[in-house]
Amino acid sequence: MYRYDNFDRQFVAERVASFRSQTERYLAGELDADAFQHLRLRNGLYMQRLAPMLRVAVPYGTLSSTQLRALARIARDFDRGYGHLSTRQNVQFNWPQLPEVPDILEVLADVDMHAIQTSGNCIRNVTTDQFAGVAADETLDPRPYCEIIRQWSTSHPEFDWLPRKFKIAVTGARNDRAAVDVHDIGLHVYRDEHGERRVDFKVGGGLGRTPVIAQLIRQGLPMTHLLTYLEAVMRVYNRYGRRDNKYKARIKILVRAMGGDGFRDKVDAEWAQLEGSASTLPEDEIERMEAFFAPPAYPAPAADELDAARFAEPAFSRWVQHNVAPHKQPGYAIVTLSTKVTGVPPGDVSDRQMEAVADWADRYGFGEIRISHEQNFVLPDVPRAALHELWQAAQAEQLGAHNVGLLSNIICCPGGDYCSLANAKSIPVAEAIQRRFDDYDYQHDLGPLDINISGCMNACGHHHVGNVGILGVDKKGQEFYQISLGGHSGNEASLGEIIGPSFSREQVPDVLAQIFEVYVAERRDEETFLQTYRRIGMQPFKERVYDRTD
Amino acid sequence: MTALIEIDSVSGSLQGGTSGPRDIALLSAAEWHAHPARQTQGLLLGVDAEPDERFLAAPLIGIEFPAFHDGRGLSLAVLLRSRLGYAGELRAVGDVQPDLIHYYRRCGFDSFVLPKGRSVAPGSAILAPYSDYYQASVRNPRPLFRRNRGGVHQRDR
Repeated sequence: MYRYDNFDRQFVAERVASFRSQTERYLAGELDADAFQHLRLRNGLYMQRLAPMLRVAVPYGTLSSTQLRALARIARDFDRGYGHLSTRQNVQFNWPQLPEVPDILEVLADVDMHAIQTSGNCIRNVTTDQFAGVAADETLDPRPYCEIIRQWSTSHPEFDWLPRKFKIAVTGARNDRAAVDVHDIGLHVYRDEHGERRVDFKVGGGLGRTPVIAQLIRQGLPMTHLLTYLEAVMRVYNRYGRRDNKYKARIKILVRAMGGDGFRDKVDAEWAQLEGSASTLPEDEIERMEAFFAPPAYPAPAADELDAARFAEPAFSRWVQHNVAPHKQPGYAIVTLSTKVTGVPPGDVSDRQMEAVADWADRYGFGEIRISHEQNFVLPDVPRAALHELWQAAQAEQLGAHNVGLLSNIICCPGGDYCSLANAKSIPVAEAIQRRFDDYDYQHDLGPLDINISGCMNACGHHHVGNVGILGVDKKGQEFYQISLGGHSGNEASLGEIIGPSFSREQVPDVLAQIFEVYVAERRDEETFLQTYRRIGMQPFKERVYDRTD
Repeated sequence: MTALIEIDSVSGSLQGGTSGPRDIALLSAAEWHAHPARQTQGLLLGVDAEPDERFLAAPLIGIEFPAFHDGRGLSLAVLLRSRLGYAGELRAVGDVQPDLIHYYRRCGFDSFVLPKGRSVAPGSAILAPYSDYYQASVRNPRPLFRRNRGGVHQRDR
């Protein structure tokens, strides 16, 4: 993990002092509401339907057991005993009191955490593969570059007041788990055949009202130029992105207006002026950052009796099948602890669960935890011999569900229960689906299936890239749900296609059942839902669904 | 009552809130280009202006922020300073917010005119909330990683 030095600590402490001053001046009437809104948003503080919401930055989804315990303490002391894992790998608190927020920031600063740039029209917390550094299919660890970008983008003099929010994702693996194709900038880092570090730049992807797959504008850029090329992209966007209409202000709209080639030419012309400037990364700076993320000294693994344990306990076997991913290091495994338990809003975790996960990270790893964009916890370094013990402990804390990659591992935004932007509730829809399809054998038979739910077109639940996407819409004050099929966020990302007129909340589980019936009847051999959809298209699903519901 | 805040160009320290705008007119680009003695006249640019080498003749350039959160003026200032090498005075006018002045300074502005109703005390921490920054800027072209990371930092003031 990256470790703060005195500089980082001082910067965060000064940010806390600055935010305290802004909050106090606002509460005293010395700072107007419009100015405070922009300033508090750059510090992760929203005014929501019921209370303020504070979004804490978890840089590229990585945190230590000490940090997670501090989050548990905040949940207990300042909130209602729980927090929420967001689809951008952050942690949100839904019930803080505004005057107490500076105190929360101090608790965070004590463990080298903050809420800087987790909202507002600025460069947001950088996201990456939740398996970064340990995944068996990784070619280059993306975390050093995430940290370089974090530092570069923190309170950037020129790029903190952009036309709209700006999200950067980085992947270094063969299988993209960071959804880089649907980010404002998606970076793929790798070593070329000569062992040189390189980066591909994709620009202009995004979800929201106008979902777009990003375009590749630069391939094979030597890593030393990472920041200067980023600077060129950001400057073109900052100067020419639309500011007259917030729905047309994302970079994807600018890229589309200029054309992919036109945008790239503009960026390249700007970069020609920046190439070789002081922000060019020296080799020793890259190596200094890489050293923070060097693999731990893995003790030789104890002999595991995994096969016997799996044979003896089918439920454990299923958990290993779905929630345990291959690790670079023989004898170790990556474990996903699912928060997706029926009856609990996806991503919500209690203070007690946070502390339990922190304890397991210390006992079955090196004190490190990840948060996935699927709103689950990940323990990156679990000895295979300890999997059974961890599974038992996780079950006792309601974190042992064996549903990663399956239907019930739903991605879901907070929706109309909390969010003031939402058109409709999303959490009760997720729960109704989980209840309707709670039979494991049925889920297992359906195989890999992503259901993503957003309560409005801002798409925090990433509905466009769910194999099944569900979007809450408002029709004359009534909540309805639009269903789309065929979305996918990994390699060869695709946007879902809307099946037809929307449905009432009560209809949604039955409509899904019909969609799955079509898949089961039409699939060939080992075809996944997505593969079958891509082969047969929308029509068979449409016919089935609207014959029944019309 | 508007207030002009200036940054001492040598020490980088801020002298704020004490005087009225300096007595030099800011002309629109059309007026300025047409003026027979434009090297004595201030030039007022919109945030969407394209940098132009002819601007180098102006002793004072004002960039007018239509809204405090419109960051185009920051990029324009950076281009005037680092691309054109403009060495005259750069002043932020329009919807200037005291809490954003630390960004403006780092992008190369020397002075600011606060609109009516906004004020800031000289030497206030609002003007300089951080003692140093990570990135390169107009004011300190060397990013932190090119300085002595972990040792004694050169202040980006």
